[in-house]
Amino acid sequence: MKKLVTLTVNGITHELAVEPRRTLLEVIREDLGLTGSKKGCGIGDCGACTMLVDGVATFSCLMLAIQADGCNVETVESLAENGKLNKLQRSFVDLGAIQCGYCTPGMLMTATELLRRNPHPSEKEIRRSLSGNLCRCTGYQKIVDAIKAVAGE
Amino acid sequence: MILPEFDVLVPNTVAEACGMLSKYADKGVRILAGGTDLLVDLRRPIVPSEISSCDGCATHKTGNVRSTIDCGWWESDSSPESDRALLKKVQDSIHQYPGYLISIHRIKELRGITTNEKGSLRVGAMTTVTEIERSDIIREKWTALAEGADSLGSPLVRNRGTIGGNIANARPAADTFIPSVALDGVLVIQSEKASRKVSVDKFATAPGKTVMEEGEIITAIEYPAPPEFSGSAYYKLANRKALEICNVGVAVWIALEKPGGPVADIRVALGAVGPTPILAESVKKVLIGKKPDEEIIKKAAKAARDDARPIDDHRGSAWYRSMMVELVTDRMIRLAVKRAEGEA
Ligand code: FES
Ligand code: FES
Repeated sequence: MKKLVTLTVNGITHELAVEPRRTLLEVIREDLGLTGSKKGCGIGDCGACTMLVDGVATFSCLMLAIQADGCNVETVESLAENGKLNKLQRSFVDLGAIQCGYCTPGMLMTATELLRRNPHPSEKEIRRSLSGNLCRCTGYQKIVDAIKAVAGE
Repeated sequence: MILPEFDVLVPNTVAEACGMLSKYADKGVRILAGGTDLLVDLRRPIVPSEISSCDGCATHKTGNVRSTIDCGWWESDSSPESDRALLKKVQDSIHQYPGYLISIHRIKELRGITTNEKGSLRVGAMTTVTEIERSDIIREKWTALAEGADSLGSPLVRNRGTIGGNIANARPAADTFIPSVALDGVLVIQSEKASRKVSVDKFATAPGKTVMEEGEIITAIEYPAPPEFSGSAYYKLANRKALEICNVGVAVWIALEKPGGPVADIRVALGAVGPTPILAESVKKVLIGKKPDEEIIKKAAKAARDDARPIDDHRGSAWYRSMMVELVTDRMIRLAVKRAEGEA
């Protein structure tokens, strides 16, 4: 039986009827059509599905939509400002921190949380906070550089 | 959808949760905390191993074990023995697919880190590993627990995973479980009718098996106040720094009579070298009443090695693990002694 869930996603509040077994990731991608967040593994290993739930970086593949009832969710779609990439996104592009791009939405959300909590993280802190987000392309260094470039300002 | 069908109930109080646990017991019910283990375990196997799907009937084509038994497909097999064996297998698998999950995220009383006037610590079962990692008081006084939290999974796992769930799963390598044994933690367990306390070192009976009974829920873990001149440490020996399960995990808590003085008490917990975290009792005999000098610490580490019961698996051989238990115990005792003396 479907249940009613209220989700505020990127500032817009939705009331949705969802099957209890559906994950937050599935509901956001399939019902709300926000396909920026990716599914890599579905078991909490890769971080491609990372969103901020009430400000906390969360893998949405292992959270049921029902568990997010009443929460404020931010996805990668919320980052751009007036249709323009934000500083962090720009930095990823400029410094080559994106190759295939599959990990990027998760990396950006994890980095967004880190920078809110700690605007000037050390390289060690950056690496540690990214340790649950896998990237098969960049070798991580460029992602770290891209975040550092923003954090240094 | 990757998860099997179930309903989710969201209680607001522990009493309500206990009521639901007994009400739905026969339908299969599991407590959903952070979900970082349960929702992984519940995933429907995309290619069911061993049990083939029902291909005879129109409604049940999913390969879902539950529907396979529902439509009686298994009955069609010829030999009674194989039928029985298959039925058992199917029933066992159904056991993993509960009809109800009780998501306890709304229950406020299950959250939070508090100390009381006697200086003991209470960590609510739904407290996340990140909250433990960032708690200054835990890092200062129950250091091994903070270090366990540091090393668990990845930041994303720690943001969702809870200490109650980590212990309840009863895995011998669980990074908050092992330090909780060394720190003499006590689990507060509630059921509809009663509340009881179980010492963390007596909680697990086998991998994934515990002394918990139907209808019970862990509400908190309590840790005694650390005496003067005491300290603790945890080290996870693993191949990677994140998203890893330890080869060997050692937590040590030590209390000295005075700095440099004899050992008043010691608890060493060994992880991933037995079916449950092991409290190394023989270490006590070696160390208590003695000055913790180099030689005696060496002896104590050997004693820990004798208490370990490692097996060979893909993470490491029993031989390697034995050696590492000794080495890591040696280092952790030294570190805990330093901390007890206020040096580290
Ligand atoms: S898809 Fe969620 S962690 Fe990989
Ligand atoms: S850019 Fe391809 S996985 Fe990271």
